[in-house]
This record gives sequence, structure tokens and C-alpha cells, in this order.
Amino acid sequence: MPGEASKAAAIIGAAEANDIGYPATPKSSLTLHIEAINNVCEMTGIPIAAIDGIFSAGWSPQLAEYLGLHPKYIDTTSVGGCSFEMHVHHALAAIHAGVINVALVSHGEMGFSQRFTGGKGTGRPFGGGDPWDPGTQHTSAYGLGGAPTGYSHAMNRHMHRYGTTQEDFAEIAVVTREWATLNPRAVMYRKAGEGDLPALEQGEWGGGKRGHTFGGPITVDTVMNSRAISWPIKLLDVCLVTDHGGAVLIAGPEIASTSKTPPVWIAGAGESISHWNMLEMNDFTETSAGRSASAAYRMAGMGPEDMEMAMIYDSFTVTAGMTAEMLGLARPGEGPSLWKDRHAAPGGRLPINTNGGGLSFNHSGMYGMQLLVEAYRQLSGTAEDDGFSGDPGKQTSARSCVVNGTGGTLSTTGTLVLTSD
Amino acid sequence: MAEYTKPIPSPDPVSQPFWDGAKEGKLMLPRCSDCNRVHWYPRVICPFCHSMNIDWIEATGRGTIHTFAVQHNRGLVARGWGDEVPYVTAYIDLAEGDRMLTVLKGVDPNDPESIKIGGAVEIEFEEASEDVHIPFWRPV
Repeated sequence: MPGEASKAAAIIGAAEANDIGYPATPKSSLTLHIEAINNVCEMTGIPIAAIDGIFSAGWSPQLAEYLGLHPKYIDTTSVGGCSFEMHVHHALAAIHAGVINVALVSHGEMGFSQRFTGGKGTGRPFGGGDPWDPGTQHTSAYGLGGAPTGYSHAMNRHMHRYGTTQEDFAEIAVVTREWATLNPRAVMYRKAGEGDLPALEQGEWGGGKRGHTFGGPITVDTVMNSRAISWPIKLLDVCLVTDHGGAVLIAGPEIASTSKTPPVWIAGAGESISHWNMLEMNDFTETSAGRSASAAYRMAGMGPEDMEMAMIYDSFTVTAGMTAEMLGLARPGEGPSLWKDRHAAPGGRLPINTNGGGLSFNHSGMYGMQLLVEAYRQLSGTAEDDGFSGDPGKQTSARSCVVNGTGGTLSTTGTLVLTSD
Repeated sequence: MAEYTKPIPSPDPVSQPFWDGAKEGKLMLPRCSDCNRVHWYPRVICPFCHSMNIDWIEATGRGTIHTFAVQHNRGLVARGWGDEVPYVTAYIDLAEGDRMLTVLKGVDPNDPESIKIGGAVEIEFEEASEDVHIPFWRPV
């Protein structure tokens, strides 16, 4: 029995900025937002002026000002890469309550190009810069910094508890790369049989349909032989750092029926948190996705067995493997086997991360928007590129998808159950 | 004393008893007077029962390794630590309850298989400044 808010609103369009990945010419994070917003409004036929709720990871007031909008609902939830799944949850509630009609969820982040402009992408407020912040005070002495330095502790604990191996997690990177070889928009896309591409200078980007010099298929050995970052995490267990802009529009059934693009219904939504600083993570083999997924499935009146595809935040191979378990798609300790046994692969029974994932498609720092765009593209049939099935753009014929974002250091989660007509 | 080049924490009034103990080589932990559970990091309220009656106890300084990782990438770690890669970070289950982050001393970062999750460790303190002595742990 679905909950009252189930399908009270739909994602009616999803679009990206004009240049994503490693663009030849950097654009600001704000420009990446605006391009995506303009694209999604053109795609749906809903004018920018109709937007009356703005949801973003910290950018909402600036977006409203830049666009000359005066929204009735302003949400700046910024709790890591899952923020965008939470924004969809919040937008569903606001539309269901009759507060707004058209919600914009927007993302722009020059995660790659910031290294050339001296700027910052969006940044994350870990510890907030307050030296008295307890998380900062009791962890800063030990030097942990970039995300891999924390996630590796979870991967080691998973291996200890369940007997999983580095090779098991490497399978996730291998299959995810395989999806990227089918997606010309993916940073790690590369056409089969193209041979070695000439090496690029730092910052240079082959661009377009040519693919990346490092792209193309990989094997478990490639992953195992990539350099150690934070043992047991190696370079190819780690997501990309790219530029991305993305935007989705959310509206109730009446407005959805006027959109030029089909609705993908928000059948279920949930969110949760287990900790903010990893120091407070109770069980290093579990995330709050267990709770957020339970809420989303309950609202949808559906379960993991009803899901025909999944979009799972893969900041690291361990993130995807663990989260698959939390979403009920695999038994505890058996997450990586979904990839190893090729259920998650092209042609498998449960396609996962059909865009090539944060590992091989695009990851700008916060990846939750990329999950939403790909889930919409697959379920709505609006994908435009050549794909595995031979249909233009379509990697699957799935009509249901569980989407899970993870933020912080395995800290926060937002889960959505999306369905198409 | 050689200059300490790595980050030095800033004690605050809530955590001061811990840092006072550290200067004397003692591990002081906050414990709730109502539910008797130890928590870490220090708080003004018990995270288990929400009592505000918090006392401090001197702990044994013993624990076990909950999980660990080997930091290899100098660009991902804080100033000062980059010169020490590879080094081993670990979460320690305290004998009295709850968990601390640390850097493990006396282990071989190039042989992670030799470091045992569940293995017994004990605390030691390094003088980073006159006021701040930082806890580290090493296998017993």
C-alpha cells in the first residue's frame, strides 16, 4: 500500500550543462548551473519563470538572484553528494503540501577546472573551519583529508567481516568502466578497437567523441596494479574529479501532463544519516541507506525485488558494493557479487550505473545530480546517445529504478524509488 | 624538543579534562553519571541517554584495532603528515567503550597483512606543544 505522497510529483525533465567532464575551456560553477537549467526548461517547455521552488546544495539564493526569480520555497540542503536525492524528497513534500508547483533541483560544480582557475568547486563544510568543532579537534591531528583516506577504513572492515577481497571490489570498477565505454559523454569513454590514443598534456582534453586517453576497458589486474592511494583503496577504486552541471524539474500530475518530456514518478523517497564525522560511524560495514531505502520502499509500496535497475553513488568501489547491500539488492557481504556475476553489467538482470558511474562517467565532487539525470534518461526514454540495446540512448528497458546518493564519509543518504508509465 | 610540524588540536572547555590528562600521560574519558556509559568525543550531553551529568574517569589506555588503512597519497593528507607516508591510521575500540581515531605506531605500513583487526593496542602520548600532548596507539 503506497504512502500518501507517493507519485504526488514527477521528475518531468533532466538535463546537463553543455560541456561536462574535462572541458577545454573552464566555465564557472554558476554557468554550469545556468546552462543545465536553461536546457531542462527548453526540453520540457516549462519556462524558467514558472519555477517557484529552488533546491540546491548551497546555491539557491544565488540562483534566484541570477535568474531574477522570487521563489516561495528555498532549500539549500548541503550534506554531501546525496543532497540532490534529498532535494527531490523535499520537493515532493512541498508539492504534495500545495506550497509550490514547479521545483528546480540544480547542480553546478567545476571540480576539475577549479585547479586551473585557482577557485573552489563548491567545497564541503567539514568541521566548518572551527578548531573547537569536536570532529575536527579529535581527528585533525592524524592528517586524514581527502575522501579516500576515510573510506578505506570501511573497505578494510568489510573485507575483515565478510571475507571480501580487493579483487571483489575491483570487479565493480571493471563493470562500471564497461558501461562507460557505451556512453560517449563519459570521461572514460573510448571506442573499442581504436588503439592507443596519443597522450594528452595536463589539462588538455580530447573531448567529444574521441574519448579519453586513459579510457576504454579495464580488467581486475588493471585495478589491482593501479597505485595505492589509501590501502586497500587504489587509484581505480576512486571516482573521477570532473566538471558537471545538471538540473531537473519536478511537478505534480497536472503540470507534468503539459511537459514535452514524459514524467518519471517519484514513487518513494527517504533520507537518513548515521554520523557526520567518520569517528562516529557505528558500524563500518553499514550506511544509513538501510533506513532511507526502507522509507522509500515503504512510500512506494515496492521492494528491492521490484527494481529493474539501480543508480548507486560510487564515490569508491566500496561505496557501491556496500550500498547495494543496504538497498536490499544483495545479501550482507555479497554486494560486490552483483558486479562479479555480471548481474549489474550490460545485458544483466539488474543494470547498475548505466552511465559509467562516478568511477568512469563523471564525478564533480558531489555526484547526486548525475544519478538523477541518468535515472530520468533511462526511465523516460529520452537518452540520446548510442547504447547497449541498439536503441538510441537507451541502455535498459527498465521502468523502475532505485537511486541512492551517499554523502560525507558514508555519512548521509537519500534514496528514491522512481517509476515510469 | 624538535618542532612539531603536524596539525595540533585546539582544546576547548568541554574537552579540557581530556587534554589535562594527556599532559600527565593519562587517558581521561567522559562518562555519563546516569547511564554509566563512556562516550567519545567529549560532549556536554550523553549521546545515549541525553543526561547532562557527565563525569570524567581515568581509563586503562587499552583497546583493540577496529579497522585501519594505510595512507599513501601525500596530497590527500594534512600538512606535516605528507612527509610520513605511508603511515597507518586506525580506529581503536576503547576497553571502556566507544572509539577513537589514531595513527598506529610500531607497525609496518608496507605490510598491511601483518596488522591485525582486533589486535590489542595501548595508548601513548606525544608532546606536540606545551599544552597539547597527542594520543597515539601501538600494538601491545
